[in-house]
Amino acid sequence: MRTLTKMALSAAVLALAGPALADTADRRIALSNNYAGNSWRQAMLQSWETVTGQAVADGVVAEAPAFTTAENQATEQAAQIQNIILEGYDAIVLNAASPTALNGAVKEACDAGIVVVSFDGIVTEPCAYRIAVDFREMGRKQVEYLSGRLPEGGNLLEIRGLAGVFVDDEISAGIHAGVEQFPQFSIVGSVHGDWAQDVAQRAVAGVLPSLPDDIVGVVTQGGDGYGAAQAFAAAGREMPIIVMGNRQDELLWWKEQRDANGYETMSVSIAPGVSTLAFWVAQQVLDGQTVPQDLIVPFLEIQQDGLDAALETTPEGGVANEEYTLDDAKAVIAAAAN
Amino acid sequence: MSGLVRPWSWAFAAAGLTYAATVALTGVQGAPGLLVATLTFASFSVLVGLGQMAVITLGPGNVDLSIPAVMTLAGTLSLKLMDGAAGTEAWGLLAALGIGLGAGAANYALILLLRIPPIIATLSASFMFQSLAVWSNRGLRIKPPDTLATFSTGATLGMPNLAWIALLAAAVFWVLIERSAYGRRLSAIGQNARAARLAGVPVEGVRAATYLLSAVMAALAGFWLACFSGGAALNMGAEYLLMSIAVVVIGGSSIAGGNSNVPGIWGAAMFMFLIVSMLNSYGLGAGVRLILTGAVIIAIVAAASGRRAAA
Repeated sequence: MRTLTKMALSAAVLALAGPALADTADRRIALSNNYAGNSWRQAMLQSWETVTGQAVADGVVAEAPAFTTAENQATEQAAQIQNIILEGYDAIVLNAASPTALNGAVKEACDAGIVVVSFDGIVTEPCAYRIAVDFREMGRKQVEYLSGRLPEGGNLLEIRGLAGVFVDDEISAGIHAGVEQFPQFSIVGSVHGDWAQDVAQRAVAGVLPSLPDDIVGVVTQGGDGYGAAQAFAAAGREMPIIVMGNRQDELLWWKEQRDANGYETMSVSIAPGVSTLAFWVAQQVLDGQTVPQDLIVPFLEIQQDGLDAALETTPEGGVANEEYTLDDAKAVIAAAAN
Repeated sequence: MSGLVRPWSWAFAAAGLTYAATVALTGVQGAPGLLVATLTFASFSVLVGLGQMAVITLGPGNVDLSIPAVMTLAGTLSLKLMDGAAGTEAWGLLAALGIGLGAGAANYALILLLRIPPIIATLSASFMFQSLAVWSNRGLRIKPPDTLATFSTGATLGMPNLAWIALLAAAVFWVLIERSAYGRRLSAIGQNARAARLAGVPVEGVRAATYLLSAVMAALAGFWLACFSGGAALNMGAEYLLMSIAVVVIGGSSIAGGNSNVPGIWGAAMFMFLIVSMLNSYGLGAGVRLILTGAVIIAIVAAASGRRAAA
């Protein structure tokens, strides 16, 4: 009797859930990741584990393992993708070591009928889907925010990322476009902070003595705001408006300053959980939905009034994060289709 | 005549020139700030450079590639152990030193037991250390205890505390290298390992001590860097690999081994910070900056070694 009830129940559940999920329940999605050596990537992998673990338990997909290469080399990742092809996965979610060097392997995957969704580190191969970050807009936005706070403008210090990396050029181009749009600002100094607090601290400390006393703002790329603040404090300078990059130590410092002297700024970056957005996009493609090849990742912005809430949900020493749902993915797809 | 020009004087001359060139731009009011920043950030390079110098002095093929990973591991684990609590500072420092000893022992075990060349041994060991650091804390930044954060960013008698530590370390190394039996044996091995062995030098013992020393110095640098910059990061040691080798070479030690130079490490470390600050201050792009840095380093090494050959 009890068994019968159970069977009836599960049949009812299946009937309810069935139509939406049946198409991908036996599909397998693999994450191919090129690097795990910083807190952002660690959070990215954890979000992937959380969301795909739940999706597998719910029967949305059959499995979704993550594979990370040891050396952050395009050749190594190309070999890894070939292995994933041979193992017969239905879709590959890809954070690529290079935008072009993996195109051969990606083409092979497409030819084998595998869906490839690249995100963060995207690939240019036309058959792949791209969930790209609008890095230029991320840079421009910072100057726009500063123009709201400081209508009369002033001198800015720019902290760049790792020299020679595409992301660094893009964000910096956006910042310079912003300065053109708001010509009351001028960039009086530019250093490379390599997206690391300690490197940024050293670079800023070294350049500060040569800069004018009235630096009103610091435009950044993420992971460098706390180090810049430390350098300004050590030099005994007036604290400029430093745009933060969603790291917990940056948010904590911001909160301490706010409580002490009403310091105001903003914080912007990409949530590491964007890997889960890519997962749902891959699931949608496998489900037979029409998905445009090029999608845009939403920014994760923290404003003054959202600071406390953001700090509460950010793990100590980690990055502010957001895990995406199937509905988020549908919204992003719909936005790109229009 | 050539006896007056020490190999390390080139590094100090270069540091002085870059300092003067930067101050010429910043004006006199920027000079003290720049000096304090230079002493602070040179300290980390000095700590790792001293250890690397000892290893390189062992002779061709000896170089410690595990320095960045040991820094990361020591910084991560010791800060995790202290967890920002007061009263744990001594334990944290001891833990960092212990991690250094362990890492050095692992390096040497690979070299001795498996007969792997030191470059490969320390490189492969560094993967293990880095993975341990990733696994232990998944890249989360834990704040140092307030006492350590204040101490590492503070100054005593006008000189940054970290610079005092690095100065003390350099003094200890100078005594070790110039005045102790260990230093003589180290140079002897670097000049001719076979002759040293035949002369009764305990070659393997000296080698073991040297790799331990290098790892302990890297751990110490990692510990202080993590305290100074408000927490350990997984990529915090990345640029100290080339830095540690560059300060040894620019400082006037022989890259072929057998001849080390402690004061030069300080001159070179200050120069390496100042050259980046100078080019940043003059507003040059990253490309020009890297090219000029490389060209200047080659010029100094050529000048220093040319002088030695002439002497």
